[in-house]
Amino acid sequence: MSQLQARFFTEDKRYIVDDVPFSIPAGSEVQDLSNVINKLLEANNASHSKVEFDFLVRGQFLRTSLSIHMDTEGSYDKTARIWSVEGKAVMTVAGHTDVVKDVAWVKRDGLTSLLLTASLDQTLLLWEWNSERNKLKARHCCRGHTGSVDAVATDPTGSKFCSGSWDKMLKIWSAVPTDEADEVEEPADRPRKKQKTQQLGLTRTPLMTLSGHNEAVSSVLWCDSEEVCSASWDHTIRVWDVETGGMKTALTGSKVFNCISYSPLCRRLASGSTDRHIRLWDPRTKDGSLVLLSLTSHTGWVTAVKWAPSHEHQLVSGSLDNLVKLWDTRSCKAPLYDLAAHEDKVFCVDWTESGLMLSGGADNKLYSYRYSACQTDAGA
Amino acid sequence: VSVSLTDIRNTVGNVPMEWYRDFPHIGYNLDGKKIYKPIRNKDELDDFLDKMDNPDYWRTVPDKQTGSDVVLSDEQVQLVNRLQRGQFGDANFNEYEPQVEFFSRDVMLHPVTNRPADKRSFIPSLIEKEKVSKLVHAIKMGWIKPRRVEDDSRGRYYDLWANEDSSILARHKMHLPAPKIPLPGHQESYNPPPEYLFTDEERALWEQQDPCDRKLPFVPRKFSSLRQVPAFSRFIHERFERCLDLYLCPRQRKMRVNVNPEDLIPKLPKPKDLQPFPTTQSLVYRGHSGLVRSISVSPSGQWLASGSDDGSVRFWEVCSSRCLKTVQVGGAVKSVAWNPNPSVCLLAVALDSVVLILSPSLADRQVVLSSERLLSAPQEADANEGAGPVTWSETEGEELNHGIRLKIQHPKAVQQVSWHAKGDYVASVMPDHSSNLQVLIHQLSRRRSQNPFRKNKGLVQCVSFHPVRPYFFVGTQRSVRIYNLVKQEMTKKLQANSKWISSMAVHPGGDHVICGSYDCRLSWFDLDLSTKPYKMLRHHKKAVRGVAYHRLYPLFASASDDGTVIVCHGTVYNDLLQNPLIVPVKVLRGHEITHDLGVLDVTFHPTQPWVFSSGADATIRLFT
Repeated sequence: MSQLQARFFTEDKRYIVDDVPFSIPAGSEVQDLSNVINKLLEANNASHSKVEFDFLVRGQFLRTSLSIHMDTEGSYDKTARIWSVEGKAVMTVAGHTDVVKDVAWVKRDGLTSLLLTASLDQTLLLWEWNSERNKLKARHCCRGHTGSVDAVATDPTGSKFCSGSWDKMLKIWSAVPTDEADEVEEPADRPRKKQKTQQLGLTRTPLMTLSGHNEAVSSVLWCDSEEVCSASWDHTIRVWDVETGGMKTALTGSKVFNCISYSPLCRRLASGSTDRHIRLWDPRTKDGSLVLLSLTSHTGWVTAVKWAPSHEHQLVSGSLDNLVKLWDTRSCKAPLYDLAAHEDKVFCVDWTESGLMLSGGADNKLYSYRYSACQTDAGA
Repeated sequence: VSVSLTDIRNTVGNVPMEWYRDFPHIGYNLDGKKIYKPIRNKDELDDFLDKMDNPDYWRTVPDKQTGSDVVLSDEQVQLVNRLQRGQFGDANFNEYEPQVEFFSRDVMLHPVTNRPADKRSFIPSLIEKEKVSKLVHAIKMGWIKPRRVEDDSRGRYYDLWANEDSSILARHKMHLPAPKIPLPGHQESYNPPPEYLFTDEERALWEQQDPCDRKLPFVPRKFSSLRQVPAFSRFIHERFERCLDLYLCPRQRKMRVNVNPEDLIPKLPKPKDLQPFPTTQSLVYRGHSGLVRSISVSPSGQWLASGSDDGSVRFWEVCSSRCLKTVQVGGAVKSVAWNPNPSVCLLAVALDSVVLILSPSLADRQVVLSSERLLSAPQEADANEGAGPVTWSETEGEELNHGIRLKIQHPKAVQQVSWHAKGDYVASVMPDHSSNLQVLIHQLSRRRSQNPFRKNKGLVQCVSFHPVRPYFFVGTQRSVRIYNLVKQEMTKKLQANSKWISSMAVHPGGDHVICGSYDCRLSWFDLDLSTKPYKMLRHHKKAVRGVAYHRLYPLFASASDDGTVIVCHGTVYNDLLQNPLIVPVKVLRGHEITHDLGVLDVTFHPTQPWVFSSGADATIRLFT
């Protein structure tokens, strides 16, 4: 088990601890860190009572989707950061020439992990991260989009990934890092760019391009290893077959879709739009558009939704009204919880493997929440 | 009544009394012995004396059964009287005792009868069913013939007016008889009261007036007696006039139309039928420190450029409200315009007396390349370029790093820039009352500028290119002139009834123009209809600062100093017969009024039904 160095800062005078680096096991969670802080405070002040802490991290402007267990975030400072669960920036992934819009894990093993970053500079970078030695190396630079890449998702097997961009296309790429460069036509009048690609890894071209959307693609995900689902600004959600490259079904809505999330447990697709509703769809329906359920409680655009990986009825959503809401689909009138921690717009939410919820927003903060499962039924 | 042995009532038996007439006895007593009649040898005299003297005479009654006289007691007399009067015999009997309510409305504990209702009170009557079935059988067998219902409608009445000519009928309906002659009143009297006679002035007035104007066709005269009344001189005249009235004077019914004023107002569709349109504020783009005069959206819809009085041009990402780039240009920016050509990414900025062409690197490499190609210097260098009113220059160094590529120096302050739809020509406006150099058209690829006008026709406020055809719209203070660029002449002059036009927008189809003016009006011109406005909308309370059309949806918006943006629906029909349908649909509030200025510019998203507005409170708001 590797150890990490962490420093704790707070502005609350009651809870100040010494500003020295502490060595914390990498697998610690919020609870463990809380215990550490409490122990430190007890050592200082005998009458200190145990308090649950939340840990915050700071970075530049945050706008991304988060992955599980070890968290990465992309941000508008053109870097992506890898965070540990306890909230320390472990690694900064710098390499894009422009804003990073989306990140995704390909696989996270004990030793090496692969992650992807998608950016406004129309490329995707595939990185290999060695968590032991804390070294990061760009393996591939995926070129092919003619607009900023807004969304990326890896398939369940970890061998392919799909990206969606403002040029209305979806492209499927291979996620396995190889050593030889793919064939690519290099335009002759850009010698400068050629050097850069070598620093950023070998160029890779897409395996397949899926076209059909009339407007920018805002979000992609994999339903299973042969189906890709994409949501776009042309008010449709399309399900594509990766084998043939053709579109299977299209679900039509009336507003721009900001984000989608699929749950294999209940086989439902949740979408957030530029109106304040979260809609649940069944991607298997053959007809045009059938909204199964509509969850309304936000007062602004819903920018992020995510199903719980372990619970088939729970999902968390973030919106431009600074709130993160936890929903149970069995009680659709109101959310279970309203998590009001952000002071500005929320752009991304996610779940960790251990059951934590995370949210990042325009106030440069990344918050994590713990939901202890109650025995009572959701009756909100 | 006690029965005593000597007073047994019925000693007679149930026989008629005349059987005892001839016998001396009447009845038998208990022992069986005859009861002899009492001696009654009262003659008339005795009877008369008895009548006089006996005080009880009047109540003495001979008893038939016993033969003796009975004197009635007082109660008996009273009883007789009561019976004669028709009352009840017993004086103590009160026939008006309160009734024992046998059946009352109060629900008693125990009902009178607790018999359950028969089933036959609920179901159709069986007896009737039998009767009906018997009748039916009889009808079927032909024994009874059912009465046929007489059909009165046909044949009974003859429609007198069926074959009448409708024109004659109409004339008959329209016939108005001449009004009856009013009955003679005091004026016509031969000896009217003095007040009915004319005074001298009235007489003079009467003579002066035209005969048709006079109230009375005669002068009231007074005579002391009927004999002295002369023959009426106007007799024949009057009768003749009446005859003319009757048969010669045409009269017609005045058809008064009962118009409900609400029916005259055209029925406009409800706003919720005209969705989608922007309804709520979704995002606020904060970052500027001065009032934001002008905004422009990129043709792809991903970026928003804004120019403000604080000397900076900012680029925002539409979906997240993040300011991606700030370019300090060193002067209050009056106007920004994004090149509408989607294969090129360029922005024209008007500040002070310079127009800058910026190339923000916010697009694909190919697009950036073609922008660079457009901006690169032309191969041929004309000698007389330097002598023109404007000078083109390329930027270097610091400015180049920010993205500014070209500078076009003008002789006076530039108010507005506007691109041609193809993206090569850009027009700039320098308002000036006296000069004829108010509008310049520049061509980017050849770096040439020209002044298309020789004469000064008024203070130019705004210009615009036609989206499809080679027309050029110039909006001056009171009118909008349309010039044909190919033929180089003016084709139309649209007269708005406004005092000062502030802004103008051309419909993407190219046949309609809206103008907003500082006197709170928005005029919609239909170019095929006339040069006067088709509609004038007065929805705003203060000056209209900016107007815009949507590229795809049938919407247009106007921004005003009262801090609101009013979005209206305006469908334009393809057939030339139908006029455009204009329905105001939403008032969008959100901006704050700063220094008496409200919303300064408004523009629509190119593909979604969203509207952006920029205001004097240094914010840009997105309504969706």
